[in-house]
Amino acid sequence: MLSCAEFLAEFGDYLEEAASPEVRARLEEHLHECKTCRIIVDSTRKTIRFVTDCDSFTLTAEQVEPIVKDVMTRIREKKN
Amino acid sequence: MAGAPADSSGELHERVGRTIFMHRTSVAADEQIVGFPGLVEAYGFIPNLFLLQKELPRAVEGEQALIRAIAVRECRLSRQLKDSLFRTVASALHSDYCRALHTSPHPKDGEGDPVLLAFAHKLAKRGPWICKHDVVGLRAAGFDDSVILETVLAVALGQMLCTLANALRPDLDEGLPAPVSIGPSGLTETVDWVETCGPYLQPCPPLPPNSRPHAFFEEQFGFVPKLFQDQMLRPDAVEAESQALAQILIPEDQLSRIVKENIVLLISAANLNTYFVAVHSQILATLGVPLEDTNQIVEDHRRAAISPGEVALFDEIRKLACFPVTSEARFESARLREHGFSEPQILEALAMAAMTNFLNTIQAGLGSVPDFPPRRVFTRKDLYPSLGPSRLISDATSREDPDAAFVVLVQGGNADAFEELVRRHSRRVFGTLAGLLGNLEDARDLTQDVFLKAFENIGRFQGRSKFSTWLISIAINTGTELLRQRKPCESLDQSGADEEFRPRQIQSWADNPEQVLGASQRSQLVREGVLRLPEKYRVVVLLRDINQLSTEEVAAALELSIPAVKARLLRGRLMLRESLAPYFVAEEKRSPDAQLR
Repeated sequence: MLSCAEFLAEFGDYLEEAASPEVRARLEEHLHECKTCRIIVDSTRKTIRFVTDCDSFTLTAEQVEPIVKDVMTRIREKKN
Repeated sequence: MAGAPADSSGELHERVGRTIFMHRTSVAADEQIVGFPGLVEAYGFIPNLFLLQKELPRAVEGEQALIRAIAVRECRLSRQLKDSLFRTVASALHSDYCRALHTSPHPKDGEGDPVLLAFAHKLAKRGPWICKHDVVGLRAAGFDDSVILETVLAVALGQMLCTLANALRPDLDEGLPAPVSIGPSGLTETVDWVETCGPYLQPCPPLPPNSRPHAFFEEQFGFVPKLFQDQMLRPDAVEAESQALAQILIPEDQLSRIVKENIVLLISAANLNTYFVAVHSQILATLGVPLEDTNQIVEDHRRAAISPGEVALFDEIRKLACFPVTSEARFESARLREHGFSEPQILEALAMAAMTNFLNTIQAGLGSVPDFPPRRVFTRKDLYPSLGPSRLISDATSREDPDAAFVVLVQGGNADAFEELVRRHSRRVFGTLAGLLGNLEDARDLTQDVFLKAFENIGRFQGRSKFSTWLISIAINTGTELLRQRKPCESLDQSGADEEFRPRQIQSWADNPEQVLGASQRSQLVREGVLRLPEKYRVVVLLRDINQLSTEEVAAALELSIPAVKARLLRGRLMLRESLAPYFVAEEKRSPDAQLR
């Protein structure tokens, strides 16, 4: 069975559901036996969920239009 | 197959102005045909799709009303063009049955206007992405509001028929040619989610207060939903919709009204339809359902206070949502029979799901604005669940660059066409810069600089990557240049090995960490955590997890190998996990309970 270090080296694709069936089976075999890695997988998934849902680095629809307007004004000024 | 005698079709031909499929009309009339003349009018026979619903004739009556108003009646679109639209929808939704059902009897018939078909394909397959720009594009191509409305209605009806066909899986009707795939390959689609406010069509005259639909909506809902008001260029379609709702949603001899309202809610939430979730949450409230119960159905029905039978029903019905269409989970009626549901009850649930997809599609196409302030607003974030293969940005269909047409126009000297590119990508460019720099003002200023650089250099863009990838690489270079000026010692290019990282926080997290801290506090923690990451990990997490680029796109933007991107992404995620863990460890797990082996 995989060690935890081997599991942690491989589980990136597993998180993305991109691991091959063989690799996935080996990882799941390890997970079945290892509570520690189950905790790491669960909390990493939750972390990704938070980051994906995070609105810290985004603009609202209202904030987009002034940027569009400013960029196009600068482009048209340069052209003229 | 049951069918009408051929001699009845000549008169029908005159009446509906289309060629009835003579080869399908060979079987003697029976009681079904007498019951459903509208279906014979539409198809020349009763298709198996409807025969399979014979144990709930009122559902078929409701469907027939819609088919008569939308498919049979010719206003601005010919029946031939509508068949073309139905085939496009069927191809987008992988329904061989519906493609065959709407095969033209004249093989030389063209497929119809490519602009309308591209819109239909996008609306059917990517309803949540439809925005005002799509409708503006149709107008620019010469289509007026009546044609646009009829196109939306045809796509919605196609969506409804495909939902029924994919659930009931009827045999092909005798005499129909085997379906020939028309595939979406020739049709382009934009995968960006652009939030614009509807309604997209010009205001219509109001629904007359003395009309039957008005009375129906007032009596059953307590108001006339804007969705129906927005279709008043076709009052006959609104009337047919009210008739279908009267046959499917209102009667309580099979499923209760509340179960069916919950089906509307469930499917609408799966379709990311803010409008229907808002309106039907309100309707459920007037029926006495507590708000928290409604919210639970929207978020996760499996955790709602409902019976195991209802959980099974909702599990199966949710598979019929029109989004995502790539789902391979098939509706299984056997499971519902095991839970004691009768055939008419199963058919009614299916009809309700199909009707919901129909109405959701109309709303997506018209951009109707909710009648009540929505408590749950679906955004592009909902399109990208945190994990799994449903990240549509990396969907094979997005490989074709959705910006290509605008890029060509700008390269040809049309500076105005650049405006659309700025509108589409300013959020992503800003998000990348904000995460890289940690300062929103700097990010806003630099976002403009990035677009100006892109405009000045667009002649050099050769389309070897997607335009958005090229733009992001400009954003990253611009952002890191500023960082270099401020902090010359750190380099994004550090190619040092990503040494093994051993997690230190190994305690179980709370089952629902979202309940531990509010959204704004979580966002704050994530922002701080991301900004603390070393730059080479930070930029990968930003592009992949926050800006939703595929691994391949991140690799192209950063000029890194895919394995390098994967390694940095995993390391960045694990480091973020370490910084978030102290806030989300389950209360009872405050001491270490496990160790790495």
